[in-house]
Amino acid sequence: MKKGLRSSIVLALILMLALFSLGGCGNSDVAGENNNENEVAEQTSDAYDQIVERGYIIMGLDDTFAPMGFRDEKNEIVGFDVDLAKEVFARLDLEVKFQPIDWTMKETELNSGNIDLIWNGYTITEERKQKVSFTKPYLKNRQIVITMADSDINTKADLAGKIVAIQNQSSAIDAVNTEPELVASFKGGEPVLFDTNNECFMDLEAGRSDAVVADEVLARYYIKLRGPENYKVLDEDFGEEDYGIGVRKTDVKLLEAVNNTLDEMREDGKYQEIYDKWFAE
Amino acid sequence: MIDYIWGLLQIDYIWGLLPALFSGLVGTLKIFFITLLLSLPLGILVAAGRVSKIKPLVSVLHLYIWIMRGTPLLLQIVFIFFGLPHVGITIERFLAILIAFVLNYAAYFAEIFRGGIESIDQGQYDAAKVLGFNSVQTFMRIILPQVVKIVFPSVANEIITLVKDTALVYIVGYGELLRAGRIATNRDASLVPLVVVAVFYLAITWILTKIFERIEKKFAYYQ
Amino acid sequence: MVLQVKGLCKSFNGKEVLQNVSFSLKTGEILAIIGRSGSGKTTILRCINNLVRCDRGTIIVDGMVLCKEDEQDGKVVYAKSAEMLQIRKKLGMVFQSFNLFPHMSVLENIIEAPINVFGVSRQEAIELAEKLLEMLDLQDKVSAYPFELSGGQKQRVAIARACALNPLIMCLDEPTSALDPELREGIALTIEKLAAKGMGVLLITHDMVFAKRVAQRVIFMENGQIMAQGSKEEFFNQITNERIKKFMAE
Repeated sequence: MKKGLRSSIVLALILMLALFSLGGCGNSDVAGENNNENEVAEQTSDAYDQIVERGYIIMGLDDTFAPMGFRDEKNEIVGFDVDLAKEVFARLDLEVKFQPIDWTMKETELNSGNIDLIWNGYTITEERKQKVSFTKPYLKNRQIVITMADSDINTKADLAGKIVAIQNQSSAIDAVNTEPELVASFKGGEPVLFDTNNECFMDLEAGRSDAVVADEVLARYYIKLRGPENYKVLDEDFGEEDYGIGVRKTDVKLLEAVNNTLDEMREDGKYQEIYDKWFAE
Repeated sequence: MIDYIWGLLQIDYIWGLLPALFSGLVGTLKIFFITLLLSLPLGILVAAGRVSKIKPLVSVLHLYIWIMRGTPLLLQIVFIFFGLPHVGITIERFLAILIAFVLNYAAYFAEIFRGGIESIDQGQYDAAKVLGFNSVQTFMRIILPQVVKIVFPSVANEIITLVKDTALVYIVGYGELLRAGRIATNRDASLVPLVVVAVFYLAITWILTKIFERIEKKFAYYQ
Repeated sequence: MVLQVKGLCKSFNGKEVLQNVSFSLKTGEILAIIGRSGSGKTTILRCINNLVRCDRGTIIVDGMVLCKEDEQDGKVVYAKSAEMLQIRKKLGMVFQSFNLFPHMSVLENIIEAPINVFGVSRQEAIELAEKLLEMLDLQDKVSAYPFELSGGQKQRVAIARACALNPLIMCLDEPTSALDPELREGIALTIEKLAAKGMGVLLITHDMVFAKRVAQRVIFMENGQIMAQGSKEEFFNQITNERIKKFMAE
């Protein structure tokens, strides 16, 4: 027995070591820690020349994520970001391949080279800047608070003691965390996290959550679909933010090319045209 | 609630959902069938190795089964797809899914089959030996056919679980039935697509259950 | 001599189960090995059928060496697998619990080994099997499965299976233990039939009455040793050994 126990413990330790050496980097990625030294292991050089050579770029998006990039009834990937990306890379003479990913794994997908860009309503935050390089902002966004129309919540301060739902791994979390006292006053001392905004809204409708904090662009989309008369958007918000496109820190040329092309599109009116298509009232 | 019931009656809307859900279904069935086809024979081989007298093989398989059953399948998919590139092994998305599923399910099947093999009376081996069967013939002709009958209910159960486990591939963004449903649900802010998805899953498991019943009837020729 | 056993020794975990056992069996002879359970008699059968490897000793089946002691280092050397298969063909074994294959019909149980191990044609195997089943009065059970048979029927199927390769020696382990008393006469007749066909029959039993009924020669074993042996008449009429008397009285 003793011998068996001892060898089991040794085996367990070896296994754990193996697992850590294998997946350690991926793990802390998900946890959102900064460990750039490890991550650049796969991509130490600028990949742009390779991308140009093979003729296509792989854009990562969570295709469950309306309205920035999602699938329409015909199962085609569409959205504001998708149209914008197609135009940018058409100008750069590159084909865009859309790779569906899981949103919680986005930076891991990027840094392990499975995708070349994260472009999917990706809010620029300080924490994310540690992991990826962002382009210049291409769309403004606010983190807004949504309640049911008959709610007695009218200010952020009213959220004290209430259940607040937020999408997991979203920038809305970072935004509310800039006000730690307020978060601590939420019921349970933290927000309730869901995989998608849709689930947040369903929970709100079910009466379990009292409020949702979400990107305005996304939230307006849901509110429009579910009937604007049912909801109330507070005047106060959790700050303005920008959407950017994330690329690997090493891909300097790609970053520059995308930035320049976006500038060009703003100047010649193409950007406005796409914006109007998706967001004009 | 009334909304949901009304939603159920939205025939045109549901009709419009079907193409996308069917393409998700294809993804689900691809993972399901290939995993089943590969993991069952592999599981039997592993089980045979587990009950063999080759000590190093037994320990290696023991470790393998422990890891596969001791960690979540989701974690295994993450390690194979996101972890292995860190040690220089890059595997294509669908292949990574298959490797994770086949290795995981083979381990579960192996344990089921091992239990079945060990439940066979030693007398069957003795009888086979005195009749001149070698060990491979004994396993294939005498032991395995009896084991298959014994373990069938457990295997069937595991196969039903596999249908639903396919949904775990969301972590690498692979398109399958549940993902297709979530896409439509988020796009249309409606639960109806998920109801349709549930019906799809129920249909698959219903068909499987019917098939299993038939197979069990076939096995009933002896006790 | 169709079977010769010389100096057979076997121990399990330091306990000597067989100590220097020697005997032989003639063609057409019915030899009963009797003794209490644990006296080592079943181990003899298992050694002869190579289900257990002996520690020392020689076993010769119809002139072929199953195992023998090496002249130089005294280690037991077994026949190579090709030869072993030929030896197996000469040996038939009926287990105490029969060990029929439950997933195969009676016919399949009998023809499986001849066809798949010894390359007998299917037609030939079936013809022989049908003959055997007729001899054993089982002709109506050809396509039955073991679970549908009574104990006595199962035993006869096991005998038919063991006979399917025309063995020279038939080994039976406790043939009466799983049978109702009224079926004893039937199995005794069957055993006599086999012997009449020229098989040497080696049967293991703790049933003295049965041994007396069917055997021509008797070996009495205790604690892994042969305590006495002789023809049935000698053995049962002149019992001098106290222990045998004690055993008989039980």
